[in-house]
Amino acid sequence: MDEQTADELEATTLALKQLGLNSGATVVGVAAASAFNEYVPEGHRPSDFMPGAKSVVVAGSLGPSNAAWQSPNRRLMEITGYDFRENVASLVMAEHIETVHGYQAMQAPALPTSGQHPPMSMMLAAVLAGLGTRSIAANIILHPTYGLLYYAAAITTMPLVPDHQLEDNVCPARSCVKMYELEGKTPCMAVCPADDGGCIDATIDDGEITSSYFNRERCSTRAMNFGIRGHIKQVELLTAADDIDEAKAVLYSDDFRRNLSSVGRYKESVAQCFECMRVCPVGRYRRKLK
Amino acid sequence: MFRVHAGLPGRALPEEAEVTEEEPDWQTVKSELLEGVLKRGAMVARVGDPDLLADVAPGQRPSDLLPQVKSMIVLGGSAPRVGEWNSPRAEVLETVGTSDRMAAIGSALARQIEERLGYYAMNVPTSTDQDDKPFLDFTAAAVAAGAGSPSLAGPVLHPEHGFVYLTVILTSLPLPFDGPIEQPACPAPSCVEMYDQRGVTPCTDVCNIDDGGCLGGQIQDGLVIGRRYDANRCRDRVYHYWVPGYQAVLEKVLSEPDVERRKMMLYGSYFTRTMWSITYSNVSQGQCFECMRVCPVGAENRMLK
Repeated sequence: MDEQTADELEATTLALKQLGLNSGATVVGVAAASAFNEYVPEGHRPSDFMPGAKSVVVAGSLGPSNAAWQSPNRRLMEITGYDFRENVASLVMAEHIETVHGYQAMQAPALPTSGQHPPMSMMLAAVLAGLGTRSIAANIILHPTYGLLYYAAAITTMPLVPDHQLEDNVCPARSCVKMYELEGKTPCMAVCPADDGGCIDATIDDGEITSSYFNRERCSTRAMNFGIRGHIKQVELLTAADDIDEAKAVLYSDDFRRNLSSVGRYKESVAQCFECMRVCPVGRYRRKLK
Repeated sequence: MFRVHAGLPGRALPEEAEVTEEEPDWQTVKSELLEGVLKRGAMVARVGDPDLLADVAPGQRPSDLLPQVKSMIVLGGSAPRVGEWNSPRAEVLETVGTSDRMAAIGSALARQIEERLGYYAMNVPTSTDQDDKPFLDFTAAAVAAGAGSPSLAGPVLHPEHGFVYLTVILTSLPLPFDGPIEQPACPAPSCVEMYDQRGVTPCTDVCNIDDGGCLGGQIQDGLVIGRRYDANRCRDRVYHYWVPGYQAVLEKVLSEPDVERRKMMLYGSYFTRTMWSITYSNVSQGQCFECMRVCPVGAENRMLK
């Protein structure tokens, strides 16, 4: 391990970010490990997983291709997923830190191991690394340029130069504020209103979010029609079936096969609803191609 | 002229440069793209005209998925390795699979087209839509692009490589088409000869539909006619593990009144293997392969020292 000057540290940080970008990330940011302490309780901080953690390197990547967003077949977006490049990038950066710089590094644990909360929040990591801010739409972190991104992170004992959090909230966008002033709702609230069977509600005052409501349980039953949750639902139906013929109707249905297929090929069914993001203006112009 | 970013009030992007667009040399663009995927591991890379699929079932046409589609790039490869084909243990081919590689190459190519060239591109999901139907008729796409031809055994066969896994990228890039191949790969001359002598080909012999198998058909004037294929039986055989195996065990478990026998089924090695093959689906894509094992198309590629 080497002592570095401020300039060298800056150069090392930039080189690491470039490595992440070369490995498939769309954006890379760095947060100080200690920055988490202000926002999350013990047990969910980087140092809880890696004693002596100094930095968290966060990689974000785009989800479905722009063509998938254009498809008139909505089921394609339900099934289609993405290539998890942010995970690849964070693993490559972690390996690079260990093998080249001699500091400890590991991929941050993001999948829930107990209850519905992740051990470490990738959403918070992205915010602290200056990659985006929380939105009205299901609390999704919106990047100012790309909008919806998927995030992964590496925790390391290596000191790096942290990025600043964004000074301006990405959400609400100016057009959304205008719509809210006229109609009392934003595009995402209009497409999935909490008071009309949907998941999203919020108030905006002077261009800032003053309150927001997100019905996560309802959203998850809509966003996760296939995959693990869908399969669990069908196992419940199977165990409650009155006779074997009723069970066979569930067991051999195309829906059952699709559920298991998406459990197996998980990357083909990561999201599934996307309606609040489809109408979100942030990053939408980037989805227009030739 | 400034374009104000929708997400950040007041934040302006740099002034847009004045761009004069020249028509690119599409043949060069195509060559660069296809050379790239061949380097990444695809064995076959061809471009087809999406309009050739105008007559396939509604909902499975390229334009049903991407209205702006101008070309279909069809990639093939990732067949089992020579060593796997030659293993004396049938379990090797039953559990091994490499098709995920094609999906990864297809996704990377779609990304490359969108991010570097600015045209729409999607790697069509290989999983099924409602009613177990595919999102796209992959066989028709492969034939239209000349990535192979239909076979008596079922899979699309490339004249040189034989059986390959396929992935299809739909794009709004107007690439020059390769078009269908002129000489179908199936039936191979040796199969025609065998059929003339015995009335069967290697594939219909190894899995004869009239003798408990899945395949049948005639050859007339060197062409396959009256192909017979028992898809349900093939599915039962090809997928011992994976989703159909899981369904079969669950059906037995749900009909079994004895709790100890239920536990034997649930905790048995077969059910465990089935779950493995679902979650590690990359290691159980094929499983039978017998009709392809005897197929002469591409057989020379399955022989090494």
